[in-house]
Amino acid sequence: MTKNSDSPVKFEIDDEQGYLVIRFEGEIDLYGTPHAREVILNCLKSERNTVIDLSAVSYIDSSGVASLVEGFQQAKDKQLEFGLINISDAVRNVLELAHLDKVFTIHASLDERIQAS
Amino acid sequence: MKQTQDTEQQATTLDQHLALLARMTQEFTASLDIEETLNNAIKQMMDVMHAEAASIFLLENDNTELVCRTCAGPIQLTGLRLAADHGIIGNTVKQNKVQMVLDVSTDPDFTAQVDEQTGFTTRSILCAPLTVKDRKLGAIELINKKTENGLFVEDDQHILTALASSAALAIHNAEMASALIEQERIQHELELAREIQANLLPSPSTDDFPVHGFNLPMREVSGDFYDYFTLPDGRIVFNLADVSGKGMNASLLMAKTSSLFHCLGKTQTSPGQLLHSINNEVHENSTRGMFVTMVGGIFDPTSNELILANAGHQPPMLQYADGHFEEIPGQSPPLGIMPNIEFPETKLQLADGTLYIYTDGVTESQQDGKMLGETGFQAMINAHRDKPVTTRIKAMFESLQREGRELHDDVTVLVIENNAIKTPSLALSVPAKANYLKQLRDSARKMVLTAGSSSEQADSIILAISEAASNIIQHAYKGDEGDIELNIHVDSNPEQPQLVINLRDYAKTIDVNEIRSRALDDVRPGGLGVHFMQQLMDNLVYTVPEDGRGNRLEMRIAIND
Repeated sequence: MTKNSDSPVKFEIDDEQGYLVIRFEGEIDLYGTPHAREVILNCLKSERNTVIDLSAVSYIDSSGVASLVEGFQQAKDKQLEFGLINISDAVRNVLELAHLDKVFTIHASLDERIQAS
Repeated sequence: MKQTQDTEQQATTLDQHLALLARMTQEFTASLDIEETLNNAIKQMMDVMHAEAASIFLLENDNTELVCRTCAGPIQLTGLRLAADHGIIGNTVKQNKVQMVLDVSTDPDFTAQVDEQTGFTTRSILCAPLTVKDRKLGAIELINKKTENGLFVEDDQHILTALASSAALAIHNAEMASALIEQERIQHELELAREIQANLLPSPSTDDFPVHGFNLPMREVSGDFYDYFTLPDGRIVFNLADVSGKGMNASLLMAKTSSLFHCLGKTQTSPGQLLHSINNEVHENSTRGMFVTMVGGIFDPTSNELILANAGHQPPMLQYADGHFEEIPGQSPPLGIMPNIEFPETKLQLADGTLYIYTDGVTESQQDGKMLGETGFQAMINAHRDKPVTTRIKAMFESLQREGRELHDDVTVLVIENNAIKTPSLALSVPAKANYLKQLRDSARKMVLTAGSSSEQADSIILAISEAASNIIQHAYKGDEGDIELNIHVDSNPEQPQLVINLRDYAKTIDVNEIRSRALDDVRPGGLGVHFMQQLMDNLVYTVPEDGRGNRLEMRIAIND
């Protein structure tokens, strides 16, 4: 498990059932996005299937959404799995507003995702 | 010769009588001190009429007694009380007719009671009624003429009748004068009472204080009152009450109850408990049949929580921000009727509503024979709704006092509204750096929630603001240093009040045409943000500020559309 301390967006990464699970916490805005983006892209750089747990994200803006889209596109290029789990209402509303709720694969939990695949 | 002497004597007597009449009339007119005038008059009458004794009896005690107010002669009768129908004097008053009894020993009306008590021997009585118009005041009685036979004659009757009517008028005038003096004294005392009472009411508050009141007494003193004061923790204790009845009794009970409230309210901050305590105190030693209706409460300007308890008072009206009214009912009886009653509390969020607590003097005021009623009162409130609270109260006060409006009872109104919340606004300036976005969002969220936005709408609004500010940082200042100013206020003019959000920067003025949302598949920071703003807000306008520097974005959204 990796844990950072000085980033405006806190995160944990767990290796579970063949996936790297990134659990973000806090508000992903213009200030937090560069850190979040770096974390996502690093996981994908290691050629691992990646899911992002957004249960503890209380706010996400267009820049945060953009970094999720970037991760989604890179994973597609690398033929890796990329998905969102456990998203908060705040995040779901913004994804719906961007019409991206149907673009990402979204599941309630990692187990549900594995069962669905 | 004897005849001439008699004629001369008669002429002298007539002169003396006329002179006495003239003198007494003059004295009676000049003096309002009835006792002194009557004392002088009775002596002179006795002398001129050659009577052995004379007295004036006046009706007292609801005309059931005749009391000797003054007398002259060997026996002191002043203060003597007789039953109103007693003897010859009683008969005189009753029949309103002069009575002349030449020989009392043969008169069936004569009672020797007084003689037996005084040792005086009554032989002959001349008694004339004292009346003004139809009002019986009493009678003048002359006893025993100082002649050989001691008997009164016909002429004496006429003279005494004339003197009596003059004396009656003087007594009547003196009574009126003393009533007037008494009235003036009472008036003066009432004015003092009014002043004391007015001092019991709190001083008028300024617009930024949440509680305001006004009282318009029908008479000099009022049975209504209100009070409010701030506790050390910032909460405000208030009440409005109406004492049963009017006038002095009501105002004394008012003074007592308001003192109890003011004193107990400082330590007992639960309105229900406070009313419970006041009720027991008032009940313990209140005059039978008197009671007090009261709404007592406490308001916390920080949390906006209002707690009310109602003792038999008519339900206060809460006007919500959207204009509709709701009654806040209570079911407990008035204070002072029976002890140990529970007064349940009602808790509510005042939000940006206004609570009106009032006495029935307001709704029962009439114009053109029509009662104002609750609907009329609400219309009166609405007519002045846009005014700041102190101006609104003044306008309502004037409406109620307007010519042609009849007030039948004291009029008292207490208004509670949180003014900090009534016109919520936000003005904030932060450096154009991404790490200040959270501060902008937090401040904006707090303000729009206060203005009445739902939590969901607040989410949308802060997303739009944050996106707009992000664009300023990235695309206007482009990493240079500068400030972002955020202003939010409520525009209540449209049918549905709107939040008006202004973001201003001092960067290079941008060509408005360059700002547009990109196609959704072209997902890069910036374009998606503008798309969000357009989706979330009702209206977006970019303008160049009046001073020609930088950019301004105005966004509008109807509150909870």
